[in-house]
Amino acid sequence: MDYLSKKYLRPRKIPSTACSGCGLGMNHKAVVQAIYELGLEVEDIVWGTSIGCAGRQTFGTWKGDGFAGTHGRVYAIARGLRLTLPPEKKIILTVGDGDAFGIGLLHLIHSARSNADLTIIVNDNLGYMSTGGQYGWTTPHGSKTDSSPYGMYEHNLMSDGMDVLGVLKHAGATFLARHVAMDGQRAVESIKKGIRNRGLSLIHMVYPCPTNFGSRELGTRDTIKMYDYIKSQSAPMGEEKENTLWATGIYHDTSDSRPEFSENIHKNIEKIRRAAAV
Amino acid sequence: MKRYLETGNFAITEGAILAGCRFFAGYPITPATELAEAMSFRLPQVGGMYIQGEDECAALHLCIGGALGGYKAMTATSGPGFILYADPYGWAIGCEIPLVVLNSGRVGPVSGITGAPGQGEFYLTRYPTQGGNFETIVLAPNSAQEAMSVIVESFYLAERFRTPVTVLADQLITDGFEDISVPENEGEMKEMGFRTWPRKINKGPVFYPSTDEIDIPPVVLGHNTGALCSDWTPTEEGYDIEEVAAHHKHAYRLIYKVRNHKELFNNLYEKNFMDDDPELVVVSYGTPSRVVNTAVKKARQNGLKVGALRLINLWPFPDEHFKKKTKYLSVELNWDGQLVREVQRAAGKDSEVHFMGSCGDLPTVADLIETFEKILKGQPLKRRGWELEEW
Ligand SMILES: Cc1ncc(C[n+]2csc(CCOP(=O)(O)OP(=O)(O)O)c2C)c(N)n1
Ligand code: SF4
Ligand SMILES: [Mg+2]
Repeated sequence: MDYLSKKYLRPRKIPSTACSGCGLGMNHKAVVQAIYELGLEVEDIVWGTSIGCAGRQTFGTWKGDGFAGTHGRVYAIARGLRLTLPPEKKIILTVGDGDAFGIGLLHLIHSARSNADLTIIVNDNLGYMSTGGQYGWTTPHGSKTDSSPYGMYEHNLMSDGMDVLGVLKHAGATFLARHVAMDGQRAVESIKKGIRNRGLSLIHMVYPCPTNFGSRELGTRDTIKMYDYIKSQSAPMGEEKENTLWATGIYHDTSDSRPEFSENIHKNIEKIRRAAAV
Repeated sequence: MKRYLETGNFAITEGAILAGCRFFAGYPITPATELAEAMSFRLPQVGGMYIQGEDECAALHLCIGGALGGYKAMTATSGPGFILYADPYGWAIGCEIPLVVLNSGRVGPVSGITGAPGQGEFYLTRYPTQGGNFETIVLAPNSAQEAMSVIVESFYLAERFRTPVTVLADQLITDGFEDISVPENEGEMKEMGFRTWPRKINKGPVFYPSTDEIDIPPVVLGHNTGALCSDWTPTEEGYDIEEVAAHHKHAYRLIYKVRNHKELFNNLYEKNFMDDDPELVVVSYGTPSRVVNTAVKKARQNGLKVGALRLINLWPFPDEHFKKKTKYLSVELNWDGQLVREVQRAAGKDSEVHFMGSCGDLPTVADLIETFEKILKGQPLKRRGWELEEW
């Protein structure tokens, strides 16, 4: 990550304060790599984050302008910012699964509905991990966490045939993909497509949290075991096995197919303003 | 100057536009709905944006985003929506974002009565978010015309102090029709005492811990200044820092930038019949102050030595008006007594402080005069179902 971090990241935030063995850095790197491969510069991007591990570990890492919302609200701030920033500025959000699919879901759905030009990377460590490890809305059924000591049995957004990306597809998102942290260049390619789309893009990226998820569900902080747990239960779309929880690849792509949120609003305002000036 | 017979909502819309507001995010709620509607009609005509949030929490966050992009932004609601602002209020206070928030009070708690004026958020506007360690500016107009000037002033103060300014109105002020004059050019704005402050872009440090300086441009993103802002305690550059000493500096600024520059707005009050040391000072704000003013005038004609003090600047609370040892009566649109507690505190033990509240209705001139008489004669206030309480 050396050349990437030199170009794009702030020295003050390297190394990150994440636990050793945390997979968040792999997701973070994939995003920065995608930015690099698209030829974007520091000033082309405003970076927003949530709270939690996903948010706090990535906040203030980007050399350019950045902000962090309170829990679940960054999607609404980002939409207001989208309306008032020039269209060529990209807004990238790195957030947690609890933030996006729990407390912030209403704002996220409305971001999809309005097709706001945002690229949202949901860093899914399978629950609420910075608060010690409680189950969330994508936690696999049966998982032991601090708030599911008997195994998680609530319905969630990834159980019983549900898929959170399906919810967002029907809400109007124009680019959706799913990856796991170990997907490497495949994830980078999806993120690039997401950033390129002038509309709402979301990339769901599952990553290993050995400290709080692994230690409860697997009974060990062993990083390799936690990585295997995720890797063995993921497979590229079309190559799913019986135990596949995360089918990876592009889930939905209608990039540039419908007017973007701010573009639409500005076009209408301009029409009204001109009529009023006559 | 153009004259209209129009609502307070109309006056507020025109005032906001004169102040440079070009971003309004709203969510329908009586009695602030018409303000959102008026903004949706007027803002696009002047190149501004009206946007509807999925709820009030989103609406104020949208305003934050708009302000971060360099716009002067505003939202408006009533009690049930105001409560959903708690989260973005905190963010905006901590990140020092200039915003204007209007709360048109109705009768609570919860949905209560939608079509009557209330004053149940006197304290909530002071403490609109959790955590403490901040000071807030709250202004309360008592007419449609004054709502316009208070809105203009709020945008001015929001920029200079880098903070959300809250306007506490009520249903009669926003919904009532009144004679309104709207200035048509800068000269006329000056004539009406309207001050404006332009949005500038911050190029220096993002935060100014330990200082009470004002007139610092707010954070604006998208100019590649490397600005950072978040909900965490910030360093000067905006990095999140988990350190008590850093938080002391941050909190000091959030409190004292306002407290140490009160002279910018503590002239916002009205005094009637206060020159001859009245034996009873009637304290109020917003709609009830209009009945109070009439009642005090009448009472004077009847020979009662009463005076009226109307607060426009509610927070920080203007203690300076209560230095005189005398009798005070707080007249409010609630039964639990909110303003009266601050009057008691500011007036101290040597003064006598009374409360007269109403809940969903307004006091009448006759009721008020009767109360003045009783207080002046030292008689108890309790009578009939009319809830008057001794404090
Ligand atoms: C309104 C609110 N509720 C709860 C919290 C406490 N909280 C802090 S981090 C966090 C976990 C968030 O989970 P997720 O978004 O998945 O992030 P992770 O820590 O797992 O990366 C929670 C619940 C908070 N900060 N704000
Ligand atoms: S708690 Fe888990 S997700 Fe958070 S930094 Fe540690 S390993 Fe990473
Ligand atoms: Mg999580």
